[in-house]
Amino acid sequence: MSNDQVGTEVALAETDERLLDRLAAFSSEQTGLAVAGFAGFLAIWYVAALFQPTYLLPSPVEVAAAFVTELTAPATLGIPFTGVELPATRLLAKLVQSLYHYVPGLLIGTTLGITAGIAMGWNDRVDSVFTPVTRILRPIPPLAWIGFAVIWLGVNHRGATFIVAIGSFWINFYSAYGGVEGVSNDLKEVAATLGVDDDLTMIRKVVVPAASPSIMTGVRTSIGQCWMIVVAAELIVGVGVGYEILNTAQNLAMDVSVAYMLVISLVFLVSDGLFRRVERRVLEWRA
Amino acid sequence: MSRQAQTETTVAVESLGKTYESDRRTVEALADVNFTVDEGEFVCIVGPSGCGKTTLFRVIAGLEEATTGQVTLDGNPVTGPGTDRGMVFQEYGLFPWRTVAENVAFGLEEQGVDEPTRSARVDEMLRLVGLDGFADAYPKELSGGMKQRVGIARALAVDPELLLMDEPFGAVDAQTRDMLHGELLDIWAETDKTVLFVTHDVEEAVTLADRVVVMAANPGRVREIVDVDIERPRHRTDPVFADYVERVRGLIGE
Repeated sequence: MSNDQVGTEVALAETDERLLDRLAAFSSEQTGLAVAGFAGFLAIWYVAALFQPTYLLPSPVEVAAAFVTELTAPATLGIPFTGVELPATRLLAKLVQSLYHYVPGLLIGTTLGITAGIAMGWNDRVDSVFTPVTRILRPIPPLAWIGFAVIWLGVNHRGATFIVAIGSFWINFYSAYGGVEGVSNDLKEVAATLGVDDDLTMIRKVVVPAASPSIMTGVRTSIGQCWMIVVAAELIVGVGVGYEILNTAQNLAMDVSVAYMLVISLVFLVSDGLFRRVERRVLEWRA
Repeated sequence: MSRQAQTETTVAVESLGKTYESDRRTVEALADVNFTVDEGEFVCIVGPSGCGKTTLFRVIAGLEEATTGQVTLDGNPVTGPGTDRGMVFQEYGLFPWRTVAENVAFGLEEQGVDEPTRSARVDEMLRLVGLDGFADAYPKELSGGMKQRVGIARALAVDPELLLMDEPFGAVDAQTRDMLHGELLDIWAETDKTVLFVTHDVEEAVTLADRVVVMAANPGRVREIVDVDIERPRHRTDPVFADYVERVRGLIGE
């Protein structure tokens, strides 16, 4: 075919190769610095802890030991609604308790938030009707609802689920709303000239895919934010990893407390990393 | 390549007027525009900026309503966008999340064409525009010229009566544009489509068109319609070509 095609292909291959080279050089240097930074952090922490009792500042070694103890100490894990109790370890049991409200809360809040965001971003009348309400409700931090969560739903998983759902609702609502508002008119007109003549098809085939980068960013943000909200909600609701951080600290078992803080970081890193992979695959088309 | 004058009218623009009203003032974008495009004809619309050529394009496309008068396609008044008019936009308007083949298939999906027929049609269109082998590429991987070929293939896939193009080659470099002109004329010859092509580039209009509708501004109106009577392929170095360009430029007032 034509010259400009061949030219483009060659150009693409070249930039690919150069990019990879640069990426390789970049990442080895990056990795070195990252390892040095982390080692430095541990060293300062270790030295500082030498001069303090454990209940004021546990050393990294004590925290690691506490982590292993919690990870291996036997405990039982109750499966909700079934009455079944499975053998597990203390850390695992607490983590699963947290996931019981984190996962449903995230799913409910994300689904409702994206749906509401698309509806308001797409339809001007829906937008006008709900804008005042969203403006009033939006600034209220999710945790402020904890009183209602407790009296409506009780001191249990459902109460914490409710708080998490509120948190993820707002994040996803605004990202979906912004994404839909930003969809270019050109694409909608092209679709109209190609035979799309109803709103639902337009939303499904044009608006949602075009807004998907923004929607995905919202989901990813809420995965992280909600994990922090969960911990805070658990301080009050009295279960899970969040509660354990406070509970152990009240007994001055600071090494165990920090070990549970670490659990939060690890879960966040794993879930964020997994979602990034999904995101990269779904948004492969993006420039 | 020349064509015999045909009697069948595809597009008729009749006493078309379009005014935009804002709080303070009324802008008359188009006033009493009249012309027709015959079946199989290649017509270019040229004019200075602000002459309403894009407004005219959008009204014919059904993306905007006329204030007065009407546009008919095969005798039926245009009331909204439809697959009888295939649109090609300056900024391509490709769906970036769809591959080349999926972009071309979009209109066919909407028509409920089954998968085997669809993919055969997509292959045929990609061959027509010289993009076979790029079916699975995403738009981000394509050059401007290639993107516009996808735009043309997508518009033609649903087999429209009329191909409506709004400065389709305005965003590509001059060399690619020359090549695309040749390809567009080949595609036109091969598919027998009626083409209405909006441009501000007089040489482009004289290169492509059977007739050039020259517009004037304030309010947007038809100044004159020029028949371009040169055998194709046309060459810019040809003195007759230069005369036409000169004449159209004179009408525009450049």
